[in-house]
Amino acid sequence: MSDKKGRNLELYFMIGVLVVLLGSAAANYVEIAANPGSIPTENAIPPAGSYVVRVFATQWAWSFEYPNNTTSVGSLTVPVDTNVSLVVTSIAGAQQSAVIHDLLIPQMDIQIYAVPGQNNTVTFEPTVVGSYYFECVEYCGEYHYEMRGYMEVVSR
Amino acid sequence: MSDYVTTLTIYGGIAAVFAIVIFAVYNLLSTRKDIVSEMASKEGYDSDNQFIRDSLLTKPRELTLSIFLNDDAKSIGLRYIVTSILFFFIGGAFGLTMRLSLTGPNLTFLTGDEYNVLISQHAVLMIYMWAVGSALGFGYYLLPSHLKVYRDIRGLFSSIGYWLWLLGGFLVLLAQSSPRWYFYPPLSLQLNPNGGGLYDWLAVLGIEIVLVGLMITCITILLIVMRDRSPEVKRDQFSLFTWSIIFTALMILVSAPPLMVGFTMLFYDFFNPVFFTASSGSVLLFTILFWFWGHPVVYVAIIPYFGLIYEIIPKFTGQKIFSYKSGVFGLGLLLILSEVVWGHHLFNSGLGFAWVLFFSTTSFLVVIPSAVTVFNYIATLWSSDKIRLTTPMLFVINGIVDFIIGGVIGVMQSAYPVNADVHGTYFVTGHFHFIFLGITTGISFAAFYMLFPTISGGRTYNVPLARLHFYFTAVGSLIMSSSWIVGGALGMPRATAGYFSFFLPYQLGSILGGFIVGIGQIFFLWNMAASWLKSPSVDNQNLLESPNPIVTVVPKGEME
Ligand code: HEM
Ligand SMILES: [Cu+2]
Ligand SMILES: [Cu+2]
Repeated sequence: MSDKKGRNLELYFMIGVLVVLLGSAAANYVEIAANPGSIPTENAIPPAGSYVVRVFATQWAWSFEYPNNTTSVGSLTVPVDTNVSLVVTSIAGAQQSAVIHDLLIPQMDIQIYAVPGQNNTVTFEPTVVGSYYFECVEYCGEYHYEMRGYMEVVSR
Repeated sequence: MSDYVTTLTIYGGIAAVFAIVIFAVYNLLSTRKDIVSEMASKEGYDSDNQFIRDSLLTKPRELTLSIFLNDDAKSIGLRYIVTSILFFFIGGAFGLTMRLSLTGPNLTFLTGDEYNVLISQHAVLMIYMWAVGSALGFGYYLLPSHLKVYRDIRGLFSSIGYWLWLLGGFLVLLAQSSPRWYFYPPLSLQLNPNGGGLYDWLAVLGIEIVLVGLMITCITILLIVMRDRSPEVKRDQFSLFTWSIIFTALMILVSAPPLMVGFTMLFYDFFNPVFFTASSGSVLLFTILFWFWGHPVVYVAIIPYFGLIYEIIPKFTGQKIFSYKSGVFGLGLLLILSEVVWGHHLFNSGLGFAWVLFFSTTSFLVVIPSAVTVFNYIATLWSSDKIRLTTPMLFVINGIVDFIIGGVIGVMQSAYPVNADVHGTYFVTGHFHFIFLGITTGISFAAFYMLFPTISGGRTYNVPLARLHFYFTAVGSLIMSSSWIVGGALGMPRATAGYFSFFLPYQLGSILGGFIVGIGQIFFLWNMAASWLKSPSVDNQNLLESPNPIVTVVPKGEME
């Protein structure tokens, strides 16, 4: 290929790449700006009227505390068609000190770190009744892989 | 009484044999030293080492035990190359053991704790000892020739750098800790098998020593480039590989110090936890220090290898690189941008909207230099009349393809909505294994095969075995990483010793792929053993150091 032809080709290729990248960056911005509550944020106040679940990660279990002060361990129950806010932190368990965990609910596109000494908040709205799996995806020691379970979305 | 005598005899015997061996080695070394000293003083040298370095300057170096005694640049290079391959096999064995233990959704033959030790060691060894070591090895080996250095005076520092790196690697192995390669406190401060491991402090010390070694090494390499090169090699004549090593050294020098400070504070925390604890409210600070280094260090696994690809392609296509300027620009920009994307490893940690937006945008930008580089390769290949599909060239082409796949996946997970789904899953594992196996590992072997005639003193490798090595590595890694990508997209968590049983198919796919890769490496060992046993048949030049292709050093069957 001639030098000039090659240069032009490189230019067009780079313009193409830039367009794709800027497009992706813009789409990313639009998505997250439309729904900033889906990004875990430290000390964020849950939106008014949302169903707030306090989540405590320990080595090695998830426990959940509901608005009516009941609790559950290893499984989570939330109402459908409601804004659900998880306020997540990590507390000491069998190992005497609290470590970082990370709660992932893949089918809800929700993921949030449990950081010792910090309250992270995330908000989402389940729209279909059913059973969804969740798991810990930040390595947290020996029984990390057992920190998994199901979230039940139930009708109101 | 007789028990006592037996014990004494056995241990006494062992001690005696040990002493004899030590004495023999000492005797050998001191005889060698006498001979060298005599030769050196005849030539008017004060320093024996300097005499050796001068007499070896830029000459082809063979792989013999003397590389551990001589400290000329090429010996240091070979030290890194062989040591890093050794660690590649150790790390690989750990990886295969993990794969095997995942054949069922519940624990099989490993306890969770053992699995966690393996995963921590696998990552640390592959990154610090394989990717970094192999890059430094080819750097030390090739730079003196590429720069036509007129003197070799930095052997002492190079050697110190090497031994520190090796010592650090051994300490990590010895520590058998399980903090994963992140070492996130407070987990890594839990000095028991369920947390970071009993001797986790030793692993922290080990990595710190590796980093000190790397600092010394990178400064030395930059000094070699600036001070020791032949005046006739002007800056715009540097090989692209030279540039890639310069950028890598700069990147390490800029990025390692924050983590070295972080590790020092972490080490203090072992005795008196004050820095990274919940009560001091700064647990996340360590993760930031870590990724400020953690992201650039994974680029050590790419930039030098991009440089090697630039050297390899012209040898088998007879075509000059499409654009030298774009080449330098791409590698340099990669270095700069690599410093500003580290937050993409912490999207979900609570940093919130502004941080996520900033780091996902910079992560998109990092693709620009990668695209420039890949375009440069493809344009060169495109415009060449004939591509000789030798084993090294096959590794290169496969590496480019794997990089494109891995890169596209990297862009995808830089978008927050995707990242929230896949962070912490095998999706990420798939992303970087495409690159680590395709580029880091593949290109290391490509370069190793090209150096083979020189380091084996005029032997050629066996082509069919090398082909098998290539195909098994390429196909196995494709199967393994694709299975991870699919499983990860469904939320299959990484770094777990057990899993939901519905993930079984993806685990089995990756186990199959992993074992194919493993078998491929056996062909490599077999090839090395078989080829080294043959007698020398070609001259000891190699394609990577010579400006022109020399046909005689390419094994029969590799050309045409
Ligand atoms: C093409 C540009 C690239 C982009 C946009 C990119 C993007 C990303 C992102 C966003 C993550 C975080 C994933 C997560 O944990 O949520 C990641 C992880 C990772 N990337 Fe890349 N990446 C690129 C190239 C590379 C290259 C060249 C390497 C070198 C081998 C690499 C190695 C890694 C590794 C090792 C991890 C995982 C670290 C860990 O959590 O253990 N990436 N990448
Ligand atoms: Cu966990
Ligand atoms: Cu990164």
